[in-house]
Amino acid sequence: MHTSDRTSEHTSHRASDHTETSTRVLAVLEKRFGDAARTLAPDADLSDALPGFDSLAALEYVTAVEGEFGIEVDFVGDDVRYWFSTLDRTAEYVRECVEDQAA
Amino acid sequence: MTYEMLRRSSGVVSGDSDLWCTYAAVRTLTWLGRVDDLPSPETVTGFLSSRQNSDGGFAWSAGMSSDAWATYYCTQAMADLPGGGRDPVGGAGSAWVWSAAHADGGFAMTPGQASDVWATYYAVRTLVEIFGERPPEALFDWLSALQAKDGGLAWSPAHAKDGTSDVRACYYALTAWSTATGGQGPLPWSRERLTSWLKDRQSEAGGFTFQAGDDTDCLWATFRATSALSRLGETPRDPEACVAWIRARLTPGGSFTRWPGYPVPDVWAAFCGVGALRELGAGAEDFEDIADRVVETVLSFRTGQGGFTYRAPELASDVLTTSAHLIAGHFSDTGERDALRWTESCMLPNEDGIMYMPGRGSEVRCTLWALSAGAFRDDTAARGRIADWLAGSIQNPDGGFGYWEGRASDMVSTCAAAEILHRTGGESVAAHLRDIAGYVATCETAPGQYANVPGGRPTLRATLQALRALNRAVGTDGAPACDALALHRVRGGGFANEGNRVPDLLSTYEAVLAGDEFGLAWDAGHLTKFLDSVRTADGGFAWTPLMAASGGPLADCLGRRLEMRLSPERHALPPLALS
Repeated sequence: MHTSDRTSEHTSHRASDHTETSTRVLAVLEKRFGDAARTLAPDADLSDALPGFDSLAALEYVTAVEGEFGIEVDFVGDDVRYWFSTLDRTAEYVRECVEDQAA
Repeated sequence: MTYEMLRRSSGVVSGDSDLWCTYAAVRTLTWLGRVDDLPSPETVTGFLSSRQNSDGGFAWSAGMSSDAWATYYCTQAMADLPGGGRDPVGGAGSAWVWSAAHADGGFAMTPGQASDVWATYYAVRTLVEIFGERPPEALFDWLSALQAKDGGLAWSPAHAKDGTSDVRACYYALTAWSTATGGQGPLPWSRERLTSWLKDRQSEAGGFTFQAGDDTDCLWATFRATSALSRLGETPRDPEACVAWIRARLTPGGSFTRWPGYPVPDVWAAFCGVGALRELGAGAEDFEDIADRVVETVLSFRTGQGGFTYRAPELASDVLTTSAHLIAGHFSDTGERDALRWTESCMLPNEDGIMYMPGRGSEVRCTLWALSAGAFRDDTAARGRIADWLAGSIQNPDGGFGYWEGRASDMVSTCAAAEILHRTGGESVAAHLRDIAGYVATCETAPGQYANVPGGRPTLRATLQALRALNRAVGTDGAPACDALALHRVRGGGFANEGNRVPDLLSTYEAVLAGDEFGLAWDAGHLTKFLDSVRTADGGFAWTPLMAASGGPLADCLGRRLEMRLSPERHALPPLALS
């Protein structure tokens, strides 16, 4: 296999991981917010897009994501309000956490 | 007392919808047959439904625990709105109400708390009118124990032994009985003595007061008294004078006001005025001359959030928001003086604490915030009256305090009361402070750990509030506080209310306050890291690191005071209690 093929495969694998992670994060939101989450744009601000996404809901969201992926969030050191503000950012945060754990 | 400061309002407006006001507005419109005048009722439903917690109950503001008060107000108002159903929230709401039931037949405001007649009334109405269920048979035994020696009804059986009767307690108990029985079957009290006590609350002017000895008639008491008498098939001694007194509360161009001399029409006055006239037999035709202006006034109280506040939103100051601005040092000298005078005007006649909003019942927490902000700083007589109100009128038989008169005890209110009595009471309140220790002991879940109510879960804030109250009451050492701080210290910065992972501003404020109170060392760098995580782009503070936006004036006040504590001047933290 050529290097370019391997790179392509790696990129494709990462994209696939990202999609799977996003799907699982979305499922967490759907469980809490139902229809409103189903139509969510990946870069939409959750506190604007989801009715009732207050600090309590945000905490439940982070906790549910922790449970879903077996990770632990540092609430002070990790800038949670940035990483958990959109579906895309959450998925990226989760993917990096999972990779760190595997390293 | 004059209320001129309230007419134009010099306090600070939060701009938030309030559940109490939203319920009153929707009910008033419903009673007038004008709920269809409400533009965008779905926005009201949206505001009300945002108060539902995952346990199925509702809370009076987001993030707080469910309680019977909020659950009834939300479910009833939603049922009143166009499109509202009998079961607007599903079976989870009914299950939550039952979770606050006691075996003796009474209901608590929140699970674990003692039963009181406010909570029992809300729970019974929610179960019967919203969920179509039957209350427990033991309810009638609990209700029967509410009659005091003077013939009136009290907040709880324990209150009845001391002889504290109140028109509101009569109304809540009679309505719970009436709702549960359809008004049929034996009355669990001496009808003659109860009727006589209620009728005696009417003054020669025609209005009613809440209690024997009160000297100012008010529309709230008049509504509850006429309703209670109506449940008994009775009328006031002088119904015509009562109707005239109620109608005299109308302003020429607007809606109802609360008592003689009070200048501002508000949402609760509209609710009480319309409600009382209905109880006195008024039909739709009797409201023809006033309905349009009452509806117009009430609709003008809507806020951008979808619900209502108590008066025109731009003038709807409240004591907590105003106190928060004062404590944070946001006013100029002139503004501070006016805001303090406005705050000092927020007292009901006959009730010497400070209320959240003008015309609402006096609340212990709000009184502490107002005093901490500087209210009555140089008025020894007023501070003495506040101490007397706490110790003489609203301390519960278990030694604790609830948010307002007749509400069962909780740790937030008890800690607030202990702080107020400590600073205002002198020697005369020593026994009352010692009684506080009795209540605190009932909330201990393990050595040195406390819950907000007996039977609740232990938390950092309840523990530190309990220890503060105990210290004010009988004195205590700092060892339990030290243990609690170690248990809930978050490694990266701040303190968590439960566990040690998610820090929040309120818990961190309590932690630093307790550290100072008990002379415990705390790490400034650890606090700085936490404050950095909750500071927002606009210079405010969020309640937790999870949110990007400010948590509003109260959060900004607490964050600002923590910053001031870290400054070289080391400004002391005011001993506040909030939640």
